[in-house]
Amino acid sequence: MTEKKRFEEIVECLVELKDTSELMIDLAYTSLMLDNKELAEEVHRLEENVDKLHTDFELLVLTSDFKKEEASGFLGLIRMGVAAEKIADAAAEIAEVVLRDLESHPVLKLAIKSAEETVAQACVTEGSTLVGKTLKEARVQEETGMWVQVIRRNMKTLRPKGDSRIQSGDVLIASGYSKGVESFRKLASPEQFCQVE
Amino acid sequence: MPRFEKIKFKPIPVSELLIEMKNLSELMIHLAYSAALFNDKELAEDVIELEARVDTLAYLLDMQIMVAARDAKDAEALIGVSAVAAAADKISDAAADIAAIVTRDIGVHPLVSAIFEKVEERLSKAIVREGSPAAGKEIGALDLAARMGVDIIAIRRDKEWLIKPSGREKLRRGDVLITRGAPQGIKDFKDIAEGSLAQLEG
Repeated sequence: MTEKKRFEEIVECLVELKDTSELMIDLAYTSLMLDNKELAEEVHRLEENVDKLHTDFELLVLTSDFKKEEASGFLGLIRMGVAAEKIADAAAEIAEVVLRDLESHPVLKLAIKSAEETVAQACVTEGSTLVGKTLKEARVQEETGMWVQVIRRNMKTLRPKGDSRIQSGDVLIASGYSKGVESFRKLASPEQFCQVE
Repeated sequence: MPRFEKIKFKPIPVSELLIEMKNLSELMIHLAYSAALFNDKELAEDVIELEARVDTLAYLLDMQIMVAARDAKDAEALIGVSAVAAAADKISDAAADIAAIVTRDIGVHPLVSAIFEKVEERLSKAIVREGSPAAGKEIGALDLAARMGVDIIAIRRDKEWLIKPSGREKLRRGDVLITRGAPQGIKDFKDIAEGSLAQLEG
């Protein structure tokens, strides 16, 4: 394996660790804000993924056959992985507040909301222009300023990627500035207001 | 040894403390990764400093919660807040660990940074200098996102940090801006903020 290729594999794994841990923080706060157990459970599932991913990452780094003078740079990588895992743990702890049925203190909602960003969910109805489009094509963020964090489909929570195709009946959970909420809801359910429980 | 300040109770609402802890801890993650991947000592030192700030906030928040809880019912109502604050504190610790990779001269392999640069937008700092065309202007009026693909994600003004400043926020001389965007845009904006480029147009 060429040196470049080997590094690409390590970086790919690190990027996934980093992205997943950051997604988990967003989801954890969202689960708290919506008092939503499914999302909180999803955070915990992701936490298990991160643990596996972290082990894979460390093994990749350790078996990468580095030279003595490169050891410090590889130690830096290992430490970064440990920190990402710690961030994921913290996210899981936030989700745990929801899973343990601890009282949702108004302060929590206040803190999440007035961080200027808010979370909204909307279900995608037949008449929506989003149906059949991939998330990338749908340009939800460009249109509404809201960023789709999660797609819920048939009780399952999906992590959205650029090529995820939106279906009618999907529930989209998005975060962004509160002024984007209305246009986001209209985009997903243009004809009627679709109540999400 | 770092100096540890003695923390006295201050009547700051729990919600304010928690918001600041949440915002700072999230900012710190971005700053820390950027510092580590691009070997930016200044950013790393900011993260370490912010970590101390979050610690102080955590103490203040704990004290507030203790004062607020009069009975078992109050305690049950507040334990969730305490758990979330502890998690935010942990996140800021993790960010400081990442920053320490830089401040302790461990570093990250340069090939990794080179690959990362393609997937990650780099954060950078710019100081608003005397005579800068940006000084005294509202962020929204600068239209940075459309002009150069740059976003100001935080402002450090004296000892305070403003996170995700609104478009109405006026930039002042001496503000330290944390910006995010493509390398060229960041460079252009730095020139404007630091006054070496006199015009915003172009």
